[in-house]
Amino acid sequence: MCKCNCSDSNIDLNLLKPVLDKYSNVKGSLITILQNAQEIYGYLPTEVIYEVASATGNTPAKVMGVATFYTQFRFKPVGKYLIMLCQGTACHVNGSEMIAQTINEELGISDGETTDDGLFTLSCVACLGCCSLSPVMMINDETYGSLTPKKVREIIAELKSRS
Amino acid sequence: MEQIKITINGKECLCTENDYILKVAKDNGIEIPNLCDHESVAAFGACGVCAVEIIDDGNGKAIPKLMRACATKARNGYVVSIDSQRVLRSRKVALELLMSDHEGDCLGPCKLNCPAGTDVQKYLKQISNADYKGAVETIKQVIPIPASIGRICPHPCEQNCRRRFVDEPLSIAFLKSYAADKDLNGDTYIPQVKPDTGKNIAVIGGGPAGLTSAYYLRLMGHSVTVYDSMKKMGGMLRYGIPAYRLPKSILDKEISLIESLGVKLVNDVSVGKDITLEQLKADNDAVIVAVGAWKSMQMRVEGEGLEGVIGGIDFLRDISSGEAETPNLKGKKVAVCGGGNTAMDACRTAIRCGADEVYVIYRRTRSEMPAEDIEIEEAIEEGVDFKFLTNPSEIIGENGKVTQIKLQIMELGEPDASGRRSPVPVEGKFEYLPVDMVIMAIGQTINASGLDIIEKTKKGTISADLSTFRTSDEKIFAVGDATNKGASIAIEAIGEARKCADVVDSFLNGNIVGYRKPFVSRRKDEDVDFTSYEKKQRIAMPSRPADERKQDFNEVNLGFGDENKVISEAKRCLECGCHDYGDCKLIKYADGVGIENIRFTGKKNVAPVERKLVAIERNPSKCILCGLCVRICDDVAGKGILGFVGRGFSTVIKPEFDNPDTVSGCAGCRKCLDACPTGALKLIEY
Amino acid sequence: MKIIVGQGSCGIAAGAGKIKAVLEQSVEGKYPIGITGCIGMCWLEPIVDVYDDNNNLHRYVKVSEDIAKAIAEAVLSSDFAKACEYEISDEDKLFLEKQTRIALRNCGIINPENIDEYVSVGGYSALKKVLSSMTQDDVINEIKASGLAGRGGAGFPTWFKWNAAKQSKGEEKYLICNADEGDPGAFMDRAVIESDPHSLIEGMLIGAYAIGAKEAVVYVRAEYPLAIIRLQNAIEQARNAGFVGENILGSGFTCDFRIKAGAGAFVCGEETALIESLEGSRGMPRLKPPFPAQEGYWHKPSNINNVETFANVAWIISNGGEAFSDMGTEDSKGTKVFALTGKVKRGGLVEIPMGKTLREVIFDIGGGIKEDKQFKAVQMGGPSGGCIPESLLDTVIDYKKLSATGAIMGSGGMVVMDESTCMVGMAKFFLDFTAKESCGKCVHCRIGTKRMQEILTRIVNGEGKDGDIELLEELCEAIKDGALCGLGQTAPNPVLTTIKYFRNEYEAHINNKKCPAKECTQLLTYEIDKDKCIGCTMCAKKCPVSAISGELKSAHSIDTAVCIKCGQCIANCKFGAISKN
Repeated sequence: MCKCNCSDSNIDLNLLKPVLDKYSNVKGSLITILQNAQEIYGYLPTEVIYEVASATGNTPAKVMGVATFYTQFRFKPVGKYLIMLCQGTACHVNGSEMIAQTINEELGISDGETTDDGLFTLSCVACLGCCSLSPVMMINDETYGSLTPKKVREIIAELKSRS
Repeated sequence: MEQIKITINGKECLCTENDYILKVAKDNGIEIPNLCDHESVAAFGACGVCAVEIIDDGNGKAIPKLMRACATKARNGYVVSIDSQRVLRSRKVALELLMSDHEGDCLGPCKLNCPAGTDVQKYLKQISNADYKGAVETIKQVIPIPASIGRICPHPCEQNCRRRFVDEPLSIAFLKSYAADKDLNGDTYIPQVKPDTGKNIAVIGGGPAGLTSAYYLRLMGHSVTVYDSMKKMGGMLRYGIPAYRLPKSILDKEISLIESLGVKLVNDVSVGKDITLEQLKADNDAVIVAVGAWKSMQMRVEGEGLEGVIGGIDFLRDISSGEAETPNLKGKKVAVCGGGNTAMDACRTAIRCGADEVYVIYRRTRSEMPAEDIEIEEAIEEGVDFKFLTNPSEIIGENGKVTQIKLQIMELGEPDASGRRSPVPVEGKFEYLPVDMVIMAIGQTINASGLDIIEKTKKGTISADLSTFRTSDEKIFAVGDATNKGASIAIEAIGEARKCADVVDSFLNGNIVGYRKPFVSRRKDEDVDFTSYEKKQRIAMPSRPADERKQDFNEVNLGFGDENKVISEAKRCLECGCHDYGDCKLIKYADGVGIENIRFTGKKNVAPVERKLVAIERNPSKCILCGLCVRICDDVAGKGILGFVGRGFSTVIKPEFDNPDTVSGCAGCRKCLDACPTGALKLIEY
Repeated sequence: MKIIVGQGSCGIAAGAGKIKAVLEQSVEGKYPIGITGCIGMCWLEPIVDVYDDNNNLHRYVKVSEDIAKAIAEAVLSSDFAKACEYEISDEDKLFLEKQTRIALRNCGIINPENIDEYVSVGGYSALKKVLSSMTQDDVINEIKASGLAGRGGAGFPTWFKWNAAKQSKGEEKYLICNADEGDPGAFMDRAVIESDPHSLIEGMLIGAYAIGAKEAVVYVRAEYPLAIIRLQNAIEQARNAGFVGENILGSGFTCDFRIKAGAGAFVCGEETALIESLEGSRGMPRLKPPFPAQEGYWHKPSNINNVETFANVAWIISNGGEAFSDMGTEDSKGTKVFALTGKVKRGGLVEIPMGKTLREVIFDIGGGIKEDKQFKAVQMGGPSGGCIPESLLDTVIDYKKLSATGAIMGSGGMVVMDESTCMVGMAKFFLDFTAKESCGKCVHCRIGTKRMQEILTRIVNGEGKDGDIELLEELCEAIKDGALCGLGQTAPNPVLTTIKYFRNEYEAHINNKKCPAKECTQLLTYEIDKDKCIGCTMCAKKCPVSAISGELKSAHSIDTAVCIKCGQCIANCKFGAISKN
């Protein structure tokens, strides 16, 4: 039974079952389970954390401790398009701050925020390793390099028009 | 396992290769400061406070890195330094960093602002439990005469009491005298006197400073004699403060308690006249000079020599003590110059002597007056006429006697460096006031006769070291109004004398240790959230009506009377100071390593106090993330309720989630509480 | 005829996927379009290699869709003159010609998704040699002879770690590859995994054999999805080919492979934190000793090396340790891969023998500074490293020599900075990073880096105080001495080196409230040159706070009190009339 103040009663914990069946008895799999759970739900709802805790024999405190340690894990739903803006050195030297500013101007969101229409989430992430194309951002699984404010506006407009 | 030998700070210690250096040190009575280590869980190495230098690894080589003593195992031949310069520097930075992210008050503003450092929060708690004897014991750690002081202290504690941001400050001073009165009239607290040391100390001056140093030195087992030039002990409390504020019977009782401990009290002896300072020095192991400031300061205006012009102290001396007949001022007009408490004492005394008209001449306005507000208020009630923004410019007389005083009209100018607007004369504007008597109460200074062998300041006060209270003569110490910056309030003199007693004791034991203000963690008033407190009015001190009280010298205040009211007043205390101050390892080490102020200030990781564990309150703002509670809950209690959340600077320890209720798995074992090295965890009192 | 499209992450980001599709369509299925990984000439991506029937290589760079069509036409007509204008220039060819590639030997050449291509260039022969003719000690001795040192940054001798793990008692041992390449500005490991995953697998198998591990784990950071896919695929192929799994090549040696995806925490590059993370915990470093070779993964003896280290192993076994140690300097042997980025003309992957100078890498291989601006510094070693100024450009690439500058060899990030880069801002950038990535366990790192970051922030905002430099220096020394793990202990390096070599920039910020590089926005003032401004009103229209005023066709001016220094005006002025100072 869920002991928390469920924020979202629409979470279907059955979706998690195959993941738990596969990993809950493999020691050291907590992070893998959470990654899979995030794949399923888009983020880690509280109910899921409790479910993972009870299935793996961990306390919720331990699961929460692990989940909050890693930047990959999110505790709120994200937008349809997750913009991951690279914060690497090369990107910094080549003006990633200006890109963040442009995104902020265009969408009104800063790091970790989601637009009101639920379309975009901005997440400033560690180096994506595409330094030669800096500044770089990744939207969902697609990488965009050699960004300029103009190019960013075009990309955003294109994604907006798609929806 | 084979025994090996390591050397820690010069001490050879036997141990095995399985032992950590921290433990070896502990087993050998050497304390290496540490915050995150605990015998019941594995080494963690987070705090870095236990870092030591291994100056010889057993093969004649030093280990270049500092090593954490908690996690470094002993190796045969190790030579460990736990207080080399490098170690101390590292420890200091670690503690300074911890303090920079530690949001809490070690002590309440009341205690911090009390010149004597009275543990107000503690005795208020004792009063709230009707434990008056306990309260008096607490107070008497620093004030030997609480019934007297409680009546007359201008109480900086109350001025700084945080309760003022909720409604009104607590009535701390009167609660103190309430407890002390109970104690005097019932089961009196009698402190233990240590066995005689055989050391002799002479104290010159039987005022608050002299009596205080005598009391504490006596408790330490020394033989103490207090010499005073007046007929009775008490100094300014007896001769400066009118009986309507402090009945002399109270003072008598408190002094006789001091005497009963074995302090020798010798009156009517003037140093320089009846006995010399040199002689006292020769006959004693130490001398404490606490002669006070008994000379009224001159106003330096024409006419000061006229008959009818008198110093405030001189005016009050005999009347206050009741040792002479009260002068009859019926039909007289009296001007009192000055705005301090002495001026208030003088004007209200003049009223009680029957004067027709009493004026207070003060060059600023009421809000700038240094006297306590209640004193001003009561003086007005008793009919004193305040002439604000006036300054005596000349005293005019006929046949050598005062007839009038010429007052320069003033106005307030620009604020000075202290922020106070300074008065400036309005050119050519004067007022003439017909008076028969002028009392100068603009300040007091020291009469230094007989004290020639010790150095004075430019102001003429005795020059005494601020930390050791030592004068230019190594055997002579000096405290109170007679020293350095001059006259101040009684509690200030008491505070100095209390500290001086410790210094003199250390001096007599052959190693003088000066007083150092301990480093404490403090919150800014503006950072404290007062919104959750319910407003509750301060208890009022009942007093006699003005018409009645101005006829005599009996005490103005009637006392609280109703014990329930007293207890509920004491319960208004917000308990700002940390419950763990006495046991807190963090502050102990931070103070011990000599932190004076935190240089690396910055953002603090603060969060509200929360109650999710059984019977334990958590204050995340005080948490230093040593992780002991987490590890003990996990490894010892087997519960794993607490966990680290987040990463880096914003890491916090939380029970499970943001679940508002008590965490279900907590068994209330309190093992976390016992292990917490700071005051982040606290037992909830129901 | 062979057509190959470079499909590393940067190539794909530059549009290589689309180019491949265009080529496929344009050659009408007459030729298969192959793929390869990253050749390392990232500034030229997308790159298309065509081997003509005479096996001559035509390398086309910065290929657009139109160019792709032109290439297809050339291929179809076998008339390569048609597209010769799109081929790589001789100057750009120097980038590769001046390199010596061992770890990157197959990158950008073979198809990383096909084990046969790896085998065809001699892949897995080193493993065969080891399993058929070498003892564990033989392998360790060969690695010892090569002088190979850990390429992750610390430069610890590889053989020593292997030997320690081998000698640790216990049946259960683990070999772990640290592919949590977290240094911002470094992508060597990503390139190796994406371009030549089998060289990593083979190196790891040899290492596992040497220490006696039956299980090998690769810890890859989550930000490298393509690397994970290719590695997973490579492991499956190797398993099917009998190189991975039980009784490998009939030798009796068994070793299984697993990938663990990291979840975003730089500190997990620290080996004990990595182990914690592998075990499913918070990646907080453990106390050392015990070292992983004694008590590592699941408290069993474990050996951890990074990707580049393993990528060298098979080559060393095949060519002999001496061939490797012949290259390099007295105490740094072999080659090193660098990710050359920043304000350099030719940015990409560079592998050179130890002993070359920084100048050779940046100017001879990298082609110097973009737009021929003034070189200011090169940042090496990421957040653990430091900035090396122009006066030390002739420093030889060697572990000791680089450490002497205050920087470190590091894992290979080499970010070049020109006159427009503020060095205080650079220090702040790295402290922002370490403060964000600090695990929060030890006081020095958790609070110390935060305080350093705060001081640096106030300096770049023009709120620096007298004594701030000294305060920083004191914090740096204390953190170096007191932090628990390498992340914290080295966090002060970017600050210390910039103070050491660019103290004047700090002083300019603090004392004169000026940023010499004109980068710190808070310290800039924007101005319109009255002579150049024609009054087009564009800047005024773009200004988000209406700080610019002026009549149409007459010179405009900026109200500096209102200006928020966003730079929109400069970006939109077509006449270069606006300057910042």
